[in-house]
Amino acid sequence: MRYFDRLHPAAALVYFLFMILTAMLSLNPAVIVLCYLSGVIFCGILTGFKNLFKSLLYSIPLTALIALTNPIFSHRGETVLFFLNDNPVTKEAILYGVFTALMLMSVFYWCRNYSTVMTTDKFIYLFGRAIPKLSLVLSLILAFIPKLKRKYKEIDAAQKALGVYAAKSYVDKIRSKMRVLSILLTDSLENAVETADSMRARGYGLKHRTSFALYRFEISDGIFLAVTAVLGIGCIACIAAGGANFNFYPALSRLNLSAVSCALYACLALLGFMSLFVEVKENILWRLLKSKI
Amino acid sequence: MKKDIFALCIVIFLVVLICTGTKIQSVDDYYLTHIDDIKEDSQTVFLTVKCDTVLKNWDKLDSALRYEKYVPGDGFILKRTEYVLRDKDTAYSILDRAVRYNKIHMECTYSANYSSVYVQGINQLYEFSCGELSGWMYMVNGVFPNYGCSKYYLSDGDELVWCYTCDLGRDVGCDWGLMR
Repeated sequence: MRYFDRLHPAAALVYFLFMILTAMLSLNPAVIVLCYLSGVIFCGILTGFKNLFKSLLYSIPLTALIALTNPIFSHRGETVLFFLNDNPVTKEAILYGVFTALMLMSVFYWCRNYSTVMTTDKFIYLFGRAIPKLSLVLSLILAFIPKLKRKYKEIDAAQKALGVYAAKSYVDKIRSKMRVLSILLTDSLENAVETADSMRARGYGLKHRTSFALYRFEISDGIFLAVTAVLGIGCIACIAAGGANFNFYPALSRLNLSAVSCALYACLALLGFMSLFVEVKENILWRLLKSKI
Repeated sequence: MKKDIFALCIVIFLVVLICTGTKIQSVDDYYLTHIDDIKEDSQTVFLTVKCDTVLKNWDKLDSALRYEKYVPGDGFILKRTEYVLRDKDTAYSILDRAVRYNKIHMECTYSANYSSVYVQGINQLYEFSCGELSGWMYMVNGVFPNYGCSKYYLSDGDELVWCYTCDLGRDVGCDWGLMR
């Protein structure tokens, strides 16, 4: 039983919104590292560390690609490492690329955590009344990619059983993959049309439809929401006050350690690792209770 | 297997093509430029690189650049110096040789629209670093040629000034606006 499964959707939504917003707003290395670490570890707790390592393995080439693309186009910075086609490749540009990549990755992991916790039924529970059509469409879109992944595996297995990958040549193997992709695309298009027809037949979008969900806003949810709001607003206020200022160009500036910055780092660390804390606490509690039975 | 070998050949060909197209130089190699000694009969030009307008617009300057090493207190990144004019030297090539010789940072791009080089930044001072109307311009004998810097050929005794403007040229005496 995960704590975030029991948590009221509104509290969880506010928490993720603050985390994603803070991760996107600043290029301060300390902020990025805090967001990244908390996001990655939380992802490990939610989806299992085996899955996490797999996704980290995939993210390494992407991170490297972003980190190496920046110095090709940006030549600012004082510390020149070497000259490429008469243009300087600098340490600052490489570091800027690395931290941009880490920021993207931390936003990616927090979005992933969001989609693990905030299942579509929770989203529709929250927004079904206020924006019925948009929330339905959004939940359909968000469910689309995991569905696509599942379908890809199915088609791949079917093709394998048909003996498509038997060819030894790598070129032929890549072409088989292309075939699988084309099947996937056709299938998803057809699926979309069928889904729309089926939903219309079941009366989605009619007026007096109601939905049922069992979520009660308890005191513990209130406490969680209040702590999240205080820390999150603290983070964003500190960023607005310039606590996250950091310059990569022309020379790396020192890490800001003023009062505002320290408050920002503290707020962010508390906010980011709060989820890990409640999740681990819940886990220990669960095991204790189970051992008593 | 034949297909594999063919694909591998194409990949190797592409890698070689990219490798031959890139030139990697160490820092020392890049700055190793020879400037001809000035003799009796050599043609020369005078080059100045200045950014004194920034001093008047200090509050608009990017806070990361507010140091003496980026914007010298007297406003001169390169004081008026005489350089030997080689055959087919342009306003850009003289600047390039001079900043390399003095180990000053410069970044430029080749703009295909104007088939000329555009100087983005000298000494870490970039276009738009000091307000949105700022950037580098050049002046020859007190006139701003409305011409790409790598297409303007210099002649003997020219006075070349690269100056940083914070107001689209108006603060350094460029009167392109008045000409129309």
